[in-house]
Amino acid sequence: MEAQSQSPGLDAKYYFLIRRLHSLCGLIPVGVFLCFHLVANSAILWPGQPGAEFQKAIDRLHGALGPMLVPVEIVGIFIPLFFHAILGVKIWLSSSPNASSYTHGPNIRFTLQRITGVFAFVFILYHVWHMHWFGKPLGAGHFELHTKAGEPAAAVTTATAIQAAWWIAPIYFLGVVASVFHLANGIWTMLITWGITIRPASQRVSGYVCAVFGVVLALVGIGALSGFRTFNVDATASSGHGVTAATHAP
Amino acid sequence: MSKSFKVRILRQADPNSGSHWETFNVDYEDGMNMTTVFQRIAADPVTTEKQPTVPVAFDSCCLEEVCGACTMVINGRVRQACSALVDALLEESPDAIEVRPMTKFPVVRDLVVDRHAMFESLKCVKAWVHVDGYYDLGAGPRLAPQVQEEAYPLSRCMTCGCCVEACPQFSDKTGFIGPAAISQAILFNLHPTGRVERDDRLGVLTGPGGIADCGNSQNCVKVCPKEIPLTDSIAKAGRDTTLYKLRQWFGR
Repeated sequence: MEAQSQSPGLDAKYYFLIRRLHSLCGLIPVGVFLCFHLVANSAILWPGQPGAEFQKAIDRLHGALGPMLVPVEIVGIFIPLFFHAILGVKIWLSSSPNASSYTHGPNIRFTLQRITGVFAFVFILYHVWHMHWFGKPLGAGHFELHTKAGEPAAAVTTATAIQAAWWIAPIYFLGVVASVFHLANGIWTMLITWGITIRPASQRVSGYVCAVFGVVLALVGIGALSGFRTFNVDATASSGHGVTAATHAP
Repeated sequence: MSKSFKVRILRQADPNSGSHWETFNVDYEDGMNMTTVFQRIAADPVTTEKQPTVPVAFDSCCLEEVCGACTMVINGRVRQACSALVDALLEESPDAIEVRPMTKFPVVRDLVVDRHAMFESLKCVKAWVHVDGYYDLGAGPRLAPQVQEEAYPLSRCMTCGCCVEACPQFSDKTGFIGPAAISQAILFNLHPTGRVERDDRLGVLTGPGGIADCGNSQNCVKVCPKEIPLTDSIAKAGRDTTLYKLRQWFGR
């Protein structure tokens, strides 16, 4: 019960800083990335040539970063994500959730925040593995921006990976919902943690705002997923390369 | 008129022995509260299995929800035995009223727990105003009515432990000082003389077991019998510690 450690170690000395970094990391860069990621993916739903807008969106993003893409992904996404996840699990293990005894909204969300956090993290690891390596041994295709011939391949390879088995889309659905809930609820608690919303009335308003944000972002993500789920891969696969046909699809 | 009801109580003879459930039949009386129930059991301590036993040990003092001594977990929810009315409890759980000691503190005997940890947390945040001196310091500074209105609800805390019992973050694993102590830190930071130690209190709140351990489940404010705006205090502590750290790192 000692709030003041007698001989403060590094983790004790920087306790507050570490926990605030944990809070911040969830929003910037991980949360911001999630928004960009889902919105860019939803370009698959745009009318016109199937997948063309999605290809353009990804090309634009990757083109802007150029050779910095991988370093930015590592420093800007993976390191903050792992830091947020590992410390988050540590925090969860030290707590004793009691949503069954005290059943009011914030306490249920407290428990859900921890469950969705772990689920989202496991899902993200699976997602990265699935999109980058899964297809190769099973021949089901995996994410490629372009074919070796330089043809656009983003939409058709993503759709092939999503459609490789019946259970992939449901897992992605749960992963998207869990990630978005974790972000939206995380923003709500973050506003309290940083002392921005203090009174119950302001927390109620921020709750509504976060809920609307969460529902909209979830719909964007689910929309993107259904776009890839229903993307006609076969129509583009006849030429052996698939992608060539994709660019010429009506 | 000989209506009776069952009470299940988690009992423990001493701090080191194991706990076990005992069920009692208690004759119903109008307007009964849980302290009356324990008195009726003490008058005839026989379980429903006709086993003679000893009266149930429990703390109590004021019997009007002001001291917090008789705090325990009744029907799965932490509250004071004195203000827990049997009628309402039977509505929640018609089969039997379930009583157990608070789970976040060591049990002394039956429903008596050692809430020393609460006092240690108050000492950590210096939940007092320094007035000791060698000479008469004169009258203290006046409190503006607005500050009084803000401070009074916080001063109602009776350190009963409901908030920490319901808090999913409070345990010996986290070392979290809990909502009551955070709220008291805010209370004494509001006081013009107590403000002298403001940065000491904020310093403790930024350390291990401080404000960062709050998980915003908001159970504390839900269970607080004194209706203290604990989540307001916690969010204020969040703001004050943020500003305190900025002052500390970048200067005033």
